[in-house]
Amino acid sequence: MTTTLVDTFDGRLHRAGLRLELRTSEGTELVLSGQDVVPAHLSVDAVPRVLTDLPPGPFRSRVASLIDVRALLPQVRVRMERSAGVWRDGTGKTVAIAELYENVHIINRPDIDRSTTIEIHEVPGYAERTRRARTVLRGVGLEQCGLDTLAQCAAAADVDLAGFKAAATVPLEPDMAALDGIRAVLANLEVAIAANWQGAIDQTDTKFLHDLRIALRRTRTVIAASESVVPAEVLGPAREGFAWLAGATGAARDLDVYLLEWKRYTDPLGVQAAVALEPVRDVLARHHADAHLGLGHVLGSERAAALIAEWRGWLAEPVSNESLPRRAGHPLGKVAAKRIARAHDALIDQGRLIGPDTPADDVHDIRKDAKKLRYLIECFSSILPDKPRKKYVKQLKALQRNLGEHQDAEVHITLLRSLTPELDAAGANANTMVAIGQLTQRLEQTRVVARAEFAERFADYDSPATRRSFDALIEAIAT
Amino acid sequence: MKVLAIYSIKGGVGKTTTAVNLAQQAAASGSRVLLWDLDPQGAATFFVRVKPSVKGGADRLIRKAGSLAANIHATDDPAVHIVPADFSLRHLDLALDNTKHPTRRLAALLEPIADRYDVALLDCAPGITLTSESVFGAADALIVPTIPTTLSKRTVDQLTGFLSEHPPAPMVLPFASMLDRRKRLQRDIVAHLMADVAGFLPTAIPNASVIEQMGIQRSPIADFAPNSPATLAYRRLWADIAARIWS
Repeated sequence: MTTTLVDTFDGRLHRAGLRLELRTSEGTELVLSGQDVVPAHLSVDAVPRVLTDLPPGPFRSRVASLIDVRALLPQVRVRMERSAGVWRDGTGKTVAIAELYENVHIINRPDIDRSTTIEIHEVPGYAERTRRARTVLRGVGLEQCGLDTLAQCAAAADVDLAGFKAAATVPLEPDMAALDGIRAVLANLEVAIAANWQGAIDQTDTKFLHDLRIALRRTRTVIAASESVVPAEVLGPAREGFAWLAGATGAARDLDVYLLEWKRYTDPLGVQAAVALEPVRDVLARHHADAHLGLGHVLGSERAAALIAEWRGWLAEPVSNESLPRRAGHPLGKVAAKRIARAHDALIDQGRLIGPDTPADDVHDIRKDAKKLRYLIECFSSILPDKPRKKYVKQLKALQRNLGEHQDAEVHITLLRSLTPELDAAGANANTMVAIGQLTQRLEQTRVVARAEFAERFADYDSPATRRSFDALIEAIAT
Repeated sequence: MKVLAIYSIKGGVGKTTTAVNLAQQAAASGSRVLLWDLDPQGAATFFVRVKPSVKGGADRLIRKAGSLAANIHATDDPAVHIVPADFSLRHLDLALDNTKHPTRRLAALLEPIADRYDVALLDCAPGITLTSESVFGAADALIVPTIPTTLSKRTVDQLTGFLSEHPPAPMVLPFASMLDRRKRLQRDIVAHLMADVAGFLPTAIPNASVIEQMGIQRSPIADFAPNSPATLAYRRLWADIAARIWS
């Protein structure tokens, strides 16, 4: 039989203590198991890749709660001969199970030899029989190993079952040279960019583009905060190059979000409106495909390859001490504190200018300011004290949530309006046009509510309590 | 975890065979199943070859926190576990009566293990007793085997009448059990039940000798007669139930 260990790119099932196996012999079966977890089995006709490939029911619900939008990807594939033996009591009841795995081969890794293994599986309620079976096997000289056959194969093939998880920061010290600290942060972000690059091109799942975009934005934010630390001849091209790359991801991500949120937007309008809006969804899907095609061209371009190669080269090269910018050798803590304080002050100053009649673009600028501040805090979090950081970020997040709701509604209203002539020209019927009106109205309500709440959210943020958390955060590294 | 009770006021309607076979079908469609044998006769326990033994008896099972988990045994299907019954369960009403909130007690016992299973199937003894009321308090749905006799509708009506007087009531999903398709009267009765009784499921379980063989084979029929009409009927019945519960 062939067994494939399946998980998301970021190992969500493994991190939740679960294992999803795809077993193929006469049929194809999925097995969801784990330590002290009752195994669930499901026969499938085809290899599932996304949640909707699984039939509705408890199995899918359990997997859904963990993987969300992520695709299921093969981690390691093993071909082996399996024989099972059961120990039964006087009534014929199974009380212990032994499985023998022979001729174990990791597919695509002929260089790895695996030995024969026997797995003893405890049957709940009959632990004593399992203990006895293990004792017997030890008695005949078999060596006990900590991992089962599949886990041994994954380890032998150097597959990290925890998957890839991008951390915003790396271990830093407040008194290290600012240039060294910033390079370490940027190098860590470059790993996240590289990890998500191909998945974003292939549209393996929407999280790849999301994570690529976050890594690019964080990179841009840190670059922008690196003046007088990073040499200008590096900073200039990087600023321009990453702005171009990040800009190229915008349309595809906006449409990803639109399609992901489609059901949440249209369900409250009722079944008739949802049906009438199908042509809109089709048009969105076409725009989505075009946007991803464009993104694929950008990410696959020579310009992008050169930018990343040059960037990676600078991050890997040793830094010459000659003619470095004046703050390159300053303590990282002081430099980071100043840049974070500057971002915080900019957010407060701009936020105080927002009134009921401020144009939406200015509100969007505040959102960008809040994001930059958040990225700086995340990227330098390893030198920031935990308690005030968490307290402060909680307050910042509340403001960001409000700004996010406003901006998503604004973007989606604008996009919907821009589609109307196209739909009209394609002969969309009256029901569709009425449903578009309903959807626009609903999005407009969301936007208006978010805008009305902004003043309250911002007042909560622009408060003595937030200022105290912020001061505690900054003072710890500024001195 | 969804709690489904296989329940009927009447005895001898196929509750236990339904519970055991639905447990197998639920597991085959990807659920982790806990079968709780609440009938002192322990027939479900017998069918899955588990020793009929409740540690400390019914009183301890009902009163002691964590006692349900301590009584769980695996069956030969790795996705189906069972809390076995023994004869001490004849005192279940008395044990429940000695608790503070007897009609909520079974729900409270199931709550700590709710994350471990997707479905709990309760195989209930017949009658309307304090145990039944506690079952009604724990169940999301009552799966009611209904044999095709002239009094069947009256039995279902008695149950729904009782439940309407004791809210909140679980969903009631009756289905035709032990149907002999050769008899026209039975076919007519089932047709009327499907037309007249709210929630009546479209799949009927046949009165088949293969079901009787469960007592000899001591396993669900899918294990020894996987392609029999009865196995296919249980598969369809589980699909009917799942569609109602997870729709």
